[in-house]
Amino acid sequence: MVEAPHKYLQAFITEATEQLEQLASELVRIEQEPPGGPLWDSIFRRVHSVKGSGATVGLVSLVDVAHAAETLIGRLKAQQKRPERAHVDLLLQATDALAQQVRRASGADRDPAPETVAPRTLVERLTAASQTLPDVAPASAPPKPVQKPTADPSLPRIDVAFSLIKACQAPGARALIVQRKLKGAGTLLEMDPPPSALMQKKGGARVTALLATARPVEAVRALFDGIPEVDEVEVRLAPVATAPAAEPPPPPPSTPVLAVADLAGSEETRAEATVRVRAQALDQLLDQAAEVLHGIARLREAARHLPEKAAAQFEAEIDRLRRTARDLHGRVMNARLTPFSSLTERLPRAVRDLAHRLGKEVELEVQGGEVELDRTVIEALADPLTHLVRNAVDHGLETGAQRVAVGKSARGLLVLSARRERDKVLVEVSDDGAGFDAARLRRRAIDMGMLSSEKVAELTEQQSYELAFLAGLSTRAEATDLSGRGVGLDAVKSAVEGLGGKISLRSAPGKGSRFTLELPLSVSMANLLLVQVGGELYGLPMTRIVATTEYDLSARGGEGFEARSLAVMGQLVRAYSLAKMFGLPSLAPPGPRPFAVLEVDGITFALAVDRLVGQEEAVLKPLFPPIDRVRGLAGTTVLGNGRPLLVLDPRGLHELAESTQRLRGAA
Amino acid sequence: MPQRRVLIVDDALFMRNTLRDIFTGAGFAVAGEADDGVQAVNLFRELKPDLVTMDIVMPYKSGIDATREIVQHDPGAVVIMCSALGQESLVMEAIEAGATDFIVKPFRGEDVLAVVKKVLGE
Repeated sequence: MVEAPHKYLQAFITEATEQLEQLASELVRIEQEPPGGPLWDSIFRRVHSVKGSGATVGLVSLVDVAHAAETLIGRLKAQQKRPERAHVDLLLQATDALAQQVRRASGADRDPAPETVAPRTLVERLTAASQTLPDVAPASAPPKPVQKPTADPSLPRIDVAFSLIKACQAPGARALIVQRKLKGAGTLLEMDPPPSALMQKKGGARVTALLATARPVEAVRALFDGIPEVDEVEVRLAPVATAPAAEPPPPPPSTPVLAVADLAGSEETRAEATVRVRAQALDQLLDQAAEVLHGIARLREAARHLPEKAAAQFEAEIDRLRRTARDLHGRVMNARLTPFSSLTERLPRAVRDLAHRLGKEVELEVQGGEVELDRTVIEALADPLTHLVRNAVDHGLETGAQRVAVGKSARGLLVLSARRERDKVLVEVSDDGAGFDAARLRRRAIDMGMLSSEKVAELTEQQSYELAFLAGLSTRAEATDLSGRGVGLDAVKSAVEGLGGKISLRSAPGKGSRFTLELPLSVSMANLLLVQVGGELYGLPMTRIVATTEYDLSARGGEGFEARSLAVMGQLVRAYSLAKMFGLPSLAPPGPRPFAVLEVDGITFALAVDRLVGQEEAVLKPLFPPIDRVRGLAGTTVLGNGRPLLVLDPRGLHELAESTQRLRGAA
Repeated sequence: MPQRRVLIVDDALFMRNTLRDIFTGAGFAVAGEADDGVQAVNLFRELKPDLVTMDIVMPYKSGIDATREIVQHDPGAVVIMCSALGQESLVMEAIEAGATDFIVKPFRGEDVLAVVKKVLGE
């Protein structure tokens, strides 16, 4: 037999991880569900599925834990009662342990901490918990779908149909031989009718089967060569190669294979068909689509050197090509869209655990789980969102007693929502807790020397809340390992801004607070203003450019300025020299110099550059560590002429300019 | 092709003779005959035949148990159960135990040879 389990290890890891995430969220929900509901079946199925495929890839201790968990789940379900919290806790622990083993199997678990509970101890606890519950009555034995075999979703499915000849005197035994052969060649998902149903029935029966196997169709057909009394053997690739992971295996083909194959041709079936694609493959596709766009930009550049006659036609063709390429790029971007729910699936668990530890009752409501965001955004958002949620449970929401004392319901409400607005997605995290303490935030800002007391006095109530985003400014003096994790609201803010988004905070004392994250739908295309400084070319996002202007500073004290004010459109704005900020020599001749005027968070400022070069649309690539920590940089891109370009982050630049200013002022 | 060697297991002499005729007539060599399950297992180990025909209901050790032991000893063993009508559940049990295939009594020579040739891939 050609068995190579490791070949499918990746598929197992992906599928098991998903199953376990779902399992954790279902376990959290089970406490609120009516007893004995269908959710138990789903929970059971997930554990069973992980156990089955875990056994296939040889993860012995995973199988042990899963088996013990499965037993407990079976008994809890049969109990027809709301489960005790201790039991749910234990099952959640088991889920964590299973997830950890899956991560280990993937080699991705870099967590140096050993298991909080050793698998053997966990198995003992699960078994002990099961023993306190009555045994499952045979009538309510494991739900039926559980009995079905599971197979690696990446394996091709093969439809098999055959007839037993009329003269066959033991069709049940004959079918059993076929079944054994098929089982020897892969995972037999279905056989209809099963051999036992054919017993004592004289010949002529038609049997269909569904096999998951890596073997070619011909090899499966050849299995029948050594089997007497079978006839009309049909073997073909099943129409839908991959079944969604969470779904039970495809329904048995109740009609002959031919009819199934016909169905595959219909538009209806095809429209619903999905295939699983590695995220990395999509990233590569996106990169290549971007390269095509670059290539076209380069062609355009080259076309400038063509004689005028030829150039016109050439450019028209390039334009058409560019439209197609942009369309392609857009489609790949769309394929990368991931539902918001993929971010929120883990949160009910985090909220539940944290709330229990703090002795609070919290209800988490997720709205707009179906709203889709670019995968890059989703990935970058995972930590900030978790932080905001933890923050709300830890600091925002009060204990039941505190809430009741001020006339609120004992159970706090935490709402997580996503909605699309044109080319943006708004993600909100709101709670009905105590709200932020504006006075305290103001006091802290002064105490920490971040703002003068005069400045603070000018702040409105809402502006005071925004102080919470300043680094190191937490209203709680004591560090907390619950929501803390070394991440502050300032980190949340920079993560959101790193995506080209914005974050704001509204709060009302005693009523709660709401964080609003305004995120771009996709992150990669950027329209840039190219500027030259000290012989280097940089890109500035056009979205932040208010105007460009020229000003002669030599009349007001020469080139040595650190920060000046310029009159732009009747308003005085601060001007900084980009060359100075980057420590580059300014190569501009004396006299009038160009300025790019930018706006960030309602603050307008001007940047002196040597030359304004032009505009270009470019695919923005993110920075990687350690460069991503350099303030003032947003990303990189490649220009039409093939030159790499650093794209600047206006917000970072402004902060850089201000801090340099402060430092000089202090010196 | 070298002559195929067969071990015939049946507690009825009549059946053993019938089978012997069918096989020798078709060019097989009868390596040995056994009339119970215990003997069958012993002879199989000793003779290493290409093929075994195995009755199900026999004294001392049933054909099913004998088959299980033979297949455990040699997973590649080809064991064809000789069953009577109405023994389908026993045949299925034998298949679970590792029997390669089966024939149902009463059989004609050509039926037996058809199954044997199919199973041996001839």
